[in-house]
Amino acid sequence: MSANPENSRAVEKPMGSEVSNAKQNASKTLAAENADSAPMSLEAVRQELKGAKGKKYWRSLDELANTPEFQAAVEREFPSMAQEWVDPVSRRGFLKLMGASLALAGMAGCTKQPDEIIYPYIKSPEDLILGKPMYFATMHPFSTGGVPVLVKSDEFRPIKIDGNPEHSYNQGGSDPYSQGTLLDLYDPDRSQHVTFEGDGREWAEFAEAFRGKVASTKDGSGIYFLSATFTSPTLARQWQEVQKAYPKAKLVQYDPALAGTVLASGMNVRYDLTGADVIVSLDADFLSGASYPGFHRLVRDYADRRRQPENGMNRLYVVESTPTTTGMKAEHRLGLRASEIPAFTAALAQAVGVAGVNPPSYSWTDEQQKFLAALAKDLKANAGKSAVLPGVYHDPALAALTLAINNLLANVGKTVFVSSDSVIPLPSDQFGDFKALVADLNAGKVDWLIILNANPIYDAPADLDFADAFNQAKIVAHLGSHYDETGHQAHWHIPAAHYLESWSDARAYDGTVSIVQPMIDPLYGGHTAHDVFQALLNEPMLSAYAAVRETQKANIKGDFEEGWRKALHDGWIADTAYARQDKARPGGPSIPKVPTPTPKDSLEIIFRPDPNIYDGRWNNVGWLQELPKPVTSLSWDNAAIMSGATLVKYNLEEDDIVELCVGKGRVKAPVMVAPGHPDESITVYLGYGREFAGRVGSGQGFSAYVIRNAWAPFYATGSLRKLEGKWGIAITKSHYQDHRAKSLLGQGSGDNSLEADEALGPRGIIRYATLDEFKANPNFAHEGDTHETPSLDTSLFPNWPYNEAYAWALSIDMNSCTACNACIVSCYAENNIPVVGKQEVRIGRNMQWLRIDTYFEGDLASPRAHFQPMNCQQCENAPCEQVCPVGATVHTPEGLNMMVYNRCVGTRYCSNNCPYKVRRFNFLLFSDYETESLKLMRNPDVTVRSRGVMEKCNYCVQRIQAAKIEADKENRNVRDGEIVTACQQACPAQAIVFGNKNDPNSRVSKLRAQQRAYQVIADINTRPRTTYVAEVLNPNQELEETPVTHEPAKG
Amino acid sequence: MAQIFDRSSNALARMSLVLTGLIVIALGVTLDQLQRSPWVTRQGQRPGQPIPFSHKHHVEGLGLQCQYCHTSVEKSSYAGIPPTRTCMNCHAQIWTNAQLLEPVRQSWYTGDSIPWIKVHDLPDFVYFNHEIHVNKGIGCESCHGQVNEMPLMYEQNTLQMEWCLDCHRNPAKNLRPTSEIYNMAWDAPTDVRPVWCTSVPNRLEVPTAQSVSCTTRDPGQAQAPGAEMASLRPVVDSAKGLTADVAAATVPPAAPAYRKFTDQDALGNFLLVNYKIRTPKDLTSCEVCHR
Repeated sequence: MSANPENSRAVEKPMGSEVSNAKQNASKTLAAENADSAPMSLEAVRQELKGAKGKKYWRSLDELANTPEFQAAVEREFPSMAQEWVDPVSRRGFLKLMGASLALAGMAGCTKQPDEIIYPYIKSPEDLILGKPMYFATMHPFSTGGVPVLVKSDEFRPIKIDGNPEHSYNQGGSDPYSQGTLLDLYDPDRSQHVTFEGDGREWAEFAEAFRGKVASTKDGSGIYFLSATFTSPTLARQWQEVQKAYPKAKLVQYDPALAGTVLASGMNVRYDLTGADVIVSLDADFLSGASYPGFHRLVRDYADRRRQPENGMNRLYVVESTPTTTGMKAEHRLGLRASEIPAFTAALAQAVGVAGVNPPSYSWTDEQQKFLAALAKDLKANAGKSAVLPGVYHDPALAALTLAINNLLANVGKTVFVSSDSVIPLPSDQFGDFKALVADLNAGKVDWLIILNANPIYDAPADLDFADAFNQAKIVAHLGSHYDETGHQAHWHIPAAHYLESWSDARAYDGTVSIVQPMIDPLYGGHTAHDVFQALLNEPMLSAYAAVRETQKANIKGDFEEGWRKALHDGWIADTAYARQDKARPGGPSIPKVPTPTPKDSLEIIFRPDPNIYDGRWNNVGWLQELPKPVTSLSWDNAAIMSGATLVKYNLEEDDIVELCVGKGRVKAPVMVAPGHPDESITVYLGYGREFAGRVGSGQGFSAYVIRNAWAPFYATGSLRKLEGKWGIAITKSHYQDHRAKSLLGQGSGDNSLEADEALGPRGIIRYATLDEFKANPNFAHEGDTHETPSLDTSLFPNWPYNEAYAWALSIDMNSCTACNACIVSCYAENNIPVVGKQEVRIGRNMQWLRIDTYFEGDLASPRAHFQPMNCQQCENAPCEQVCPVGATVHTPEGLNMMVYNRCVGTRYCSNNCPYKVRRFNFLLFSDYETESLKLMRNPDVTVRSRGVMEKCNYCVQRIQAAKIEADKENRNVRDGEIVTACQQACPAQAIVFGNKNDPNSRVSKLRAQQRAYQVIADINTRPRTTYVAEVLNPNQELEETPVTHEPAKG
Repeated sequence: MAQIFDRSSNALARMSLVLTGLIVIALGVTLDQLQRSPWVTRQGQRPGQPIPFSHKHHVEGLGLQCQYCHTSVEKSSYAGIPPTRTCMNCHAQIWTNAQLLEPVRQSWYTGDSIPWIKVHDLPDFVYFNHEIHVNKGIGCESCHGQVNEMPLMYEQNTLQMEWCLDCHRNPAKNLRPTSEIYNMAWDAPTDVRPVWCTSVPNRLEVPTAQSVSCTTRDPGQAQAPGAEMASLRPVVDSAKGLTADVAAATVPPAAPAYRKFTDQDALGNFLLVNYKIRTPKDLTSCEVCHR
């Protein structure tokens, strides 16, 4: 079947009807009387949304309900208490200090700098030019597929991690996890000593005891290894050799986020979305982070098909059980409870025509049936040009069903590829093995339990009572990067080396093998699992380096030394990617029994790895803790995330504490509402509630592992009970509200925040159209009731021509951005941005220079969201500069708005006057000047800011300067693409483009010249240098008329 | 009861008013002067170094070229402090028993660095870059003074912002041919010591330094231009080095219309154009030094 792509696209209703409709509704909503409602009254929210069919935007529920508290909040420049001294330095203490410093103030300028010492090398390393960074390719080994990275190294200290731009898999894109591993390397709380029952030991002592014990068993009986999922082919080979020598030794791989999934058991289905006109995600969160295999590639291919809608674009359907950015980016999204998803998929398979599927009988609502029918129709019309992606955290039946659908639609071989080989070298039934281990422990069969990079005391399934079983082992040795929960209970603890400190290897999603090469000597003399296995073999001292070389002899063709050097240089071994199998398989896979959905009135609890800290391994990484989670903007915590209807049903309010119960487990959790969450369902993220994570992570949130059982690892039926008190969660999204509507040319009502009133209003912060609207009117972003971009040239200040060789500008493609947050973490690393802590975030002092604003639109139960990365817009006519009394923020001739930190006296007038709310103030001494390990991590080209200083995005001016100096030396202009900002570099979707707008051939100039390009709040004559490319959606006409109000599903 | 304040108090009061004003002014002037004094700027101070290393001896006496030790000055923001190995290159052979050199040998044997005290120490929020300065015609001596005359290293200039800006506002007054960067004795051209320069048509993507060649011998007289200048320097390996323009000059000059310069103004402005020095507006923009 070959459907014309034009036909498959919806024909939009005539232009204009929606706009006028929206206008009417906007006035209606503004008039709505709900100022007296209780805090967070859901009724008020409903009222607000009722009938608001048009483009009504909101950023948080408080904003939507428009409560008095919210209004009060927007009237303040900073969130409540932001002005207060709530840190340990009390106000009185501060005054005392001030008295002392006033006395010294006159002399402060005269103090001498202390002497600085220069420590030169003894022998200078070859090829090192001090002051010039070096770049080395390596791979971040991750259980869903290694991420090829390029590490920036300053004096051989890794200071920045980015995707390897030459690697065909991610082409430079990265993700928050990979970015965050840098701070993980320098984490001051990493364990530093080998210990035996708390006493200091040496590695050699351990190796001797270990080797002696294992050798004495002859066959390895009683020796058990419990490891995180292997990612290294070399490690697998070493284990197989150990197995050969000691056949009765046992290996259990256990990764809490991976156990029970088809990935762990070695299923390898890959997708190529370049050829997919229709993409269907069945709880597959493939746009928000590396926890979905192939994220980097998928998000890029997805975005590539949306960059130029005039050349055709894909359509994304998402059926999901918890709101994710993937769902929010979808043209059509259906929220279903997790247990309904396999059944829905089965019904879809049947509708598409897969033989031999017996979907469990279930009473789907009309809306769901309509969605299913339209989806099936669209899929059939796009056979061979579609891709159906299954979620990871589901019964294996889901993966089998989607493969069957893809197979039937002849997608296999075109957009879907199946390999027998997997990125995991030793697939296993992780829960099965783990249960067997617990049984053996309880039976007293375990003499030595060696735990490799795992933390089972913390993250084992609750029903297995691992902690009790653990004590039955005679000796437990723990290899881990931190002295964590397991480390505390083990006899031996051995510090593990970070992947940036050690040799290893791993495979990327596409199968390419990369060598993991060390960037720095182990900071604390750590060892790796390679060393542990090698200690049992014939050459116990053989290094991981030698072992990896040995393994890769099979992969490196031609002269080995040359090939090895090339592999290290390039970051991959050529010709190791999986072969693409081209044909659909007749018959397709056999389909296991599809689980029946739980009753509609039972409360379902969904367990997901955290989008920031995954399964808890990055719990102590401050950047990732502080990073607002996608969609919810929650930082520093996890929560019981539920829908508004569920909130009402259980008579809860946001931030209440509830007790969640599953089986015997109980845990206290804060309540949080996420728009679009299915009813009678609660999402909890794994990875929090750690006892011994370190100074950053310990005690944050609650441990969802307490209620997670091996019999229901992905979702379970549970119950909740309201407890007294409030939790105090930190949500960042309400920090940046502003109150400008009143002054807006007299049009605003003064009731709403900037976003609610103006996203739609005259300012059009978010502008988008459907594909048909766009085709009918390519200039939609600048026309219509609300979207005109006024060309104001009047200013009190002289107009600067900006006719230098360079005028820097940034373009952000709203169609490509999927809000994965990689840019924010990249910015942290590049610009030495401090982490402030939960209490400071709660009062609005988080320091990210770049944030991703989420604008929800439409119904509370099934919203769409628009993601807008917001950094300093580098206004040509910058309001901040005009109010600075000391000239600390000034313009450069090339149009950058600079902060001169040493001039700033901290009046914060600039922040007051910034319409974009992108300035960040160091209320306290947030930068850590003391911790030694963190000093190694800093970018030497960026000042570490002290207390009382304002800071903000400057388009990575240090990179601009470096490129300009290089260009000046070579007597040329800076080439387009030579300067890449940190956010641009990290973006896996390539949504961010930086360049010179005075060069008409630069990428950024072309993007700015597009008709869809628009500026935010340009009507106040700020003339921002950042432009946004308006979104174009490609909806299915049949599904366009979605019901406005979404009743909670009733059983 | 007697008056507490008698008439003379009025005069005293007036006096004290005036005095207060004077004291405030005096304090201001004092602080201002203090800020610029060598006590704060360290101008001219010779800190106690682990080894009393003499630039005078090594540069003037032995004729070492700057880059023998400061290897990355053309390539990086740092000029580079030599590793112990550089010292040992010679001092493994000569002065092997000198007491003064004990710290060098200690460093070599123990692997600990020689802890030099930084003489030219900019505040941490200033990002100075050596490579662009030496590539664009600012000689070492312009900032560091005549190092070859310094038995002990000291700071010749204040390195304060006003001093930087003084040149950034008018770079022409300090520009010299890049072939003279390492020449400690370079002085502005005069009538008796003129400089002849020529520029080949500017080729893009080729370092600006290579498009200009200058000489202090009259190129009208038949002898290889630039031979004199090359005398101080050992040959630097690649064409990327600054000395490459000397090499370019020794190539039979392609229609070398040499211009004669007899004062710094004219030479500076000629180089300003040919080295494509950025405008003062660009050079005084904050982000040039502060990030």
